[in-house]
Amino acid sequence: MSKLILTVDDSASMRMLLKASLTAQGYRIESANDGEHGLERMREVQPDLLITDINMPKMDGFELMEAVRAEPAFRGTPILVLSTEFSDEKKMRARQAGATGWITKPFDPAKLGAAIRRVCS
Amino acid sequence: MDEIQGIFFEECAEGLAVAEQGLSAMRAGDLSSETIAGVFRAVHSIKGGAGAFGHAALTAFAHRFENVMDEVRAGRIPATPGVTDVMLSAFDILTDHVAAARGTAPLPQDAAVLAALENVLETKGVGVGGGATAASAPATPEAPQPEAEESDEDEFGFRPVGVALDIFDAAEEPVEPVEPDWIIDFAPSHAALANGGEPLLLVREVEALGGTIANVDLSALPPLRAMEPEQSYLRWTINVPASVEESTLTDCFDFVAPDSVVSIVRAESAAPVASVTATAELDPIREDLAEAAPEPSAPTLTLVPTASPSPSAVPPERAPEPAAQTIRVDLIKLDLLLNLVGELVIRNSILADRLTPADQQRVELPELARLTRQIQDNVMSLRAQPIRQAFSRVPRMLRDLSAETGKQVILETTGETTEVDKGVIEKIGDPLTHMIRNAIDHGVEPPADRIAKGKDAHGTIRLSAEQKGARIFVRVADDGRGIDRVRVRAKAIEKGIIQADAQLTDEEIDQLICAPGFSTAETISNISGRGVGMDVVRSNVEALGGRVEIASTPGEGTTFTMILPLTLAILDGMIVRLGGQRYVLPLANVIETVQPAPGQVKRTSPTNEVIDMRGQYLPVKRATDIFDLPGSNRSLEDSLVVIVESESAGHVGLIVDTIDDRREVVIKSLDQNLYPIRGLGGATILGDGSIALILDIEALVASNSFNRFTPKGIAA
Repeated sequence: MSKLILTVDDSASMRMLLKASLTAQGYRIESANDGEHGLERMREVQPDLLITDINMPKMDGFELMEAVRAEPAFRGTPILVLSTEFSDEKKMRARQAGATGWITKPFDPAKLGAAIRRVCS
Repeated sequence: MDEIQGIFFEECAEGLAVAEQGLSAMRAGDLSSETIAGVFRAVHSIKGGAGAFGHAALTAFAHRFENVMDEVRAGRIPATPGVTDVMLSAFDILTDHVAAARGTAPLPQDAAVLAALENVLETKGVGVGGGATAASAPATPEAPQPEAEESDEDEFGFRPVGVALDIFDAAEEPVEPVEPDWIIDFAPSHAALANGGEPLLLVREVEALGGTIANVDLSALPPLRAMEPEQSYLRWTINVPASVEESTLTDCFDFVAPDSVVSIVRAESAAPVASVTATAELDPIREDLAEAAPEPSAPTLTLVPTASPSPSAVPPERAPEPAAQTIRVDLIKLDLLLNLVGELVIRNSILADRLTPADQQRVELPELARLTRQIQDNVMSLRAQPIRQAFSRVPRMLRDLSAETGKQVILETTGETTEVDKGVIEKIGDPLTHMIRNAIDHGVEPPADRIAKGKDAHGTIRLSAEQKGARIFVRVADDGRGIDRVRVRAKAIEKGIIQADAQLTDEEIDQLICAPGFSTAETISNISGRGVGMDVVRSNVEALGGRVEIASTPGEGTTFTMILPLTLAILDGMIVRLGGQRYVLPLANVIETVQPAPGQVKRTSPTNEVIDMRGQYLPVKRATDIFDLPGSNRSLEDSLVVIVESESAGHVGLIVDTIDDRREVVIKSLDQNLYPIRGLGGATILGDGSIALILDIEALVASNSFNRFTPKGIAA
């Protein structure tokens, strides 16, 4: 069974782009369009990896990660942040919120794949 | 990929709309964090997508814009009107950049606005003026022009931190046939396993690059009883061939937790070439790296047995997307569907014609007609779009125009959610542009004049849309000087459009500005064009089966109203005969039909007749006269009077020979050479294959002088 990844991004094109490049690399993809929806989908599909955007309506990426980490079932689930933001302050916050790693948009599919393998066997 | 890119551009359009709305609200004083965050998010998303699709110029500009928005969002730069004005001009350039990325426009000149944004950043918004006109970008010419590429380079740089290397002397231990050119010392922090991290994966990744584990330091490993399952106690020394790029190795350790030790050194030299102590931050994957890490191959030596397959070995599996709320459909497919439905309606009519009246009453036929009607309604609703799309370019145009003319204008928009057929939306763009330009150019006065007249310095343009019955009313109202009728009349006489002694009502004079070749602008401005504007408006709107109304009060303003049909394709019609030929009257206009009793129609003057409807007198027009059709010999008593309702003239009786039928007809537009004939709204094909002209009630009854401006009159 291939790994299941949940991608959370409010941009439909970004979700589709992620889905296209990651299914091509053999992953199964589920997606959600904001933090709230992401948390729901997290519980439903129990993914092997969460990839989330930061700036989203309703619940942003920081809040999503905190909510995810608060649930015992997801303590060890790797989380990659995929965002256009790159400030140290934001990355620090992301780490505190529970991020495993940070990838800056735009992403190179090969590097994204490498990053995923780095956190998710 | 093109399809995803198409969706990206749709998102851009949505994002731009949100940003514009937000910025306008900010300009009007709404500085709520929700509004500002909305603008920020919109710009941010555009930047993110643009990067993903490789639109470098758009990304670079959006990045600058976003930086400023971020500061505003954080409250570090106050959203003064001056700052917001810079944002608005940045928004305009962003719109142009999106168009350029899409390939529909050239790359915009953004240097001035970039400088203005830079100025806002540097001065924290203090050095930015109040912004008298909405579009003036307070660009400082001396400000350095930022390079598009320089933007994030610094932030992406890897910051090496020196770390003393004193724990081993690897050079003396050539354990591999390959020279161990790189030596990696990796001691994950105790908390490495928190946040879903897994140091072992990094070790495997390095192994996959050709690395071999030279040593594992177990000294920190506590007795089993004291061991915490979520802590890391190991320290690895890994030798990696010299052929591996340094950046590839540093990449591997991008995500290590704070307090980990990562040191990457050349074996020959004692000094570390690149070493990293993970500081309290996460380093991003750098995008300037030339090579991606290769796919992991089967490790030659593993510390812990593992059965994990390489992800690429697993055949791709398609996971279903969450249920979609909407789907996007190519407009061509919708148009085809609409045409097919039109044909279906015609075939339905033909079928009905071929059947005997008894058969026509059978249940199947009405049922078929009903179903066809439902399909039709549904297809029409598929094409309906909020008119906001047509309105969306107005704010920017106003900003440009006010900058150009020095006139200040506030826009008020209502009814932008009114849904209209997509075809209508596309075609009212140009007329709307002309109407707005006309309002600014000829309507709204310069601030000094306005103040002298006791008005606000800024003019107001009200743009509104509403649906009434089967018609859409789009209004552009200004509070300017109104139409100067004396001048319009003089000009029309000068241009030979009317006779010098013509007796015209105020409304008729106002209509003159829509006459071909008419222009009252004293100097031809490049805003309202060369006097073709309002003429184009009228012909475009009439081509849509609509018309333009003008209401003007001197000194108070002018209102242009486009009255448009809700749909362009299908019409409920009454088939009538005039002079032996069949015409279609839109049923929406028909109130009732009367067989006039002797004396019920009375002549009140040589040219005017009225009908007595239950004691109320309504004007009557002979349709045959209007079109100069060969005089029928019918007596009035043999004819029928159809009472129609019109927007402009209220209830009017129209004398026709007979009524044949009631039918849904598919509207086919008239050829160019039939355009000038006012009173015709189009043509249709009837069930027997013959052609019938569709009457435009509004134009027919609007005015006695309805054909006064028609150049040649109308020959039958």
